[in-house]
Amino acid sequence: MGFLNWFSSPDPRVHNLPSGSFTVDRHGKVMSATVGADFPASLLHDIAWEILSVFKEARTAQMPLAEVSLDFAGLQVSARDMQGGAIIFLSPKNPLATPSPAGAKP
Amino acid sequence: METKHKILILDDDTDWLDTCRDFLAQLPSQPEIRIAASGVRALAMLDAQKFRVLICDLKMPRMDGLQVLSIVRRRFPSLRTVVLTGLQDDQFRSRAYALGVDLFWLKPDMQENSQMFLDCIESFLGREDADGFRDNHARNLLDVIRMECLADNSSVLKITSSRLVAKIWFHHGELVDAAAEGADGEAAFRRILKWKSGTFESLPAEPERARTITKSVDALMAESEQRIDKYVNPGSPEELEQQKLVEQLAAIAVEGAEFLVSIPAKKEIAPKSWGVKGTENLTAWARHAEKTALRLGEILSAGPLNYVAGSNLERQLLLLPQNGKTFVVGWPPEAVGEKLFEQTKKLTFAWDS
Repeated sequence: MGFLNWFSSPDPRVHNLPSGSFTVDRHGKVMSATVGADFPASLLHDIAWEILSVFKEARTAQMPLAEVSLDFAGLQVSARDMQGGAIIFLSPKNPLATPSPAGAKP
Repeated sequence: METKHKILILDDDTDWLDTCRDFLAQLPSQPEIRIAASGVRALAMLDAQKFRVLICDLKMPRMDGLQVLSIVRRRFPSLRTVVLTGLQDDQFRSRAYALGVDLFWLKPDMQENSQMFLDCIESFLGREDADGFRDNHARNLLDVIRMECLADNSSVLKITSSRLVAKIWFHHGELVDAAAEGADGEAAFRRILKWKSGTFESLPAEPERARTITKSVDALMAESEQRIDKYVNPGSPEELEQQKLVEQLAAIAVEGAEFLVSIPAKKEIAPKSWGVKGTENLTAWARHAEKTALRLGEILSAGPLNYVAGSNLERQLLLLPQNGKTFVVGWPPEAVGEKLFEQTKKLTFAWDS
């Protein structure tokens, strides 16, 4: 029956923005997470890799960073370096609740 | 010859597409209505033809509506976008507005308030021709501001230009306050007058808004015109360059930044910097961090990137993409984090103008 699955289209869905935190080791392996189980593990890995690469590039540039924060209109991704690994916080934002047009704050 | 505007409807439900097409055929301006059943197909159609409005569902297989909208936002900034979905979740509404959609409607609401929906779509089709605001922002915005004052109105004018949002507060026909690009008051008002394009909408008055602008609208506009005249009739190139440098350095000194690096998009153009020597490493990191952030934003459909911040015991860094450049500003560790984004925006604006 698996053969028939090739012809079926994937379920339509919209991913929720992730909320919670997780820790990764220096190899990008997720050690623990409070992010909802419905959030794809592959995306969690992608986030981890990208964040670790920002820390790594900073070390390569001889300006090691202890904390990094990526601020988007809908989500803030904050991370703290932990000896090559990281703890990463994902905080969705509600732009409609932003009181000032000046935007979000770091 | 009269040309009809085109509307593109994107939804994975083909029955709904047919229903929607028949429904929109009632629009008074009789636009051409095209349909697409997938995000990829819709993007291909947008590439091939000029559309005025995109009506987009959110819940779709493979490429969802938010992903489509984030691409559309970047590639077709003048396209008016409407989300029409069955997802009754405020989070999606917020995310859609964060991506810059013009309107968010639920499918049941659209069926219940069909005339209102048609009016909204018709206004998107007609706005460009009716008042020319979108293409000629400066002239019409000035007119609108003058009208608000002459009519003794109390209102809030919200102006959107690309990713920038500004507000101007009026109280009984007097200009009370303005906010734009991290600036307030008169500085913000002057910045708004420099914007080349955008849209505006009138919001309910906020009478409790504290007054920060004491000059009259006419005085501010006259000052602005004098500044424009100065640019139209400039001094020698050396004088101009010197004056610009003084203004840039003054901005850095006022805000209290340690250094600033302006990195052009093209790698072959050398970055400009102040307060730091040997920017190769910093530039390499900034390019990588921005690319990474943009990639992550796209993967997660998290909306436009505001900034990337980094810190260690010695300093704080704030990376800001602006007008095709990347700015990296270094701040002392004791600088107040809450204000850094706005301060950095002010600085980069001074450096970039």
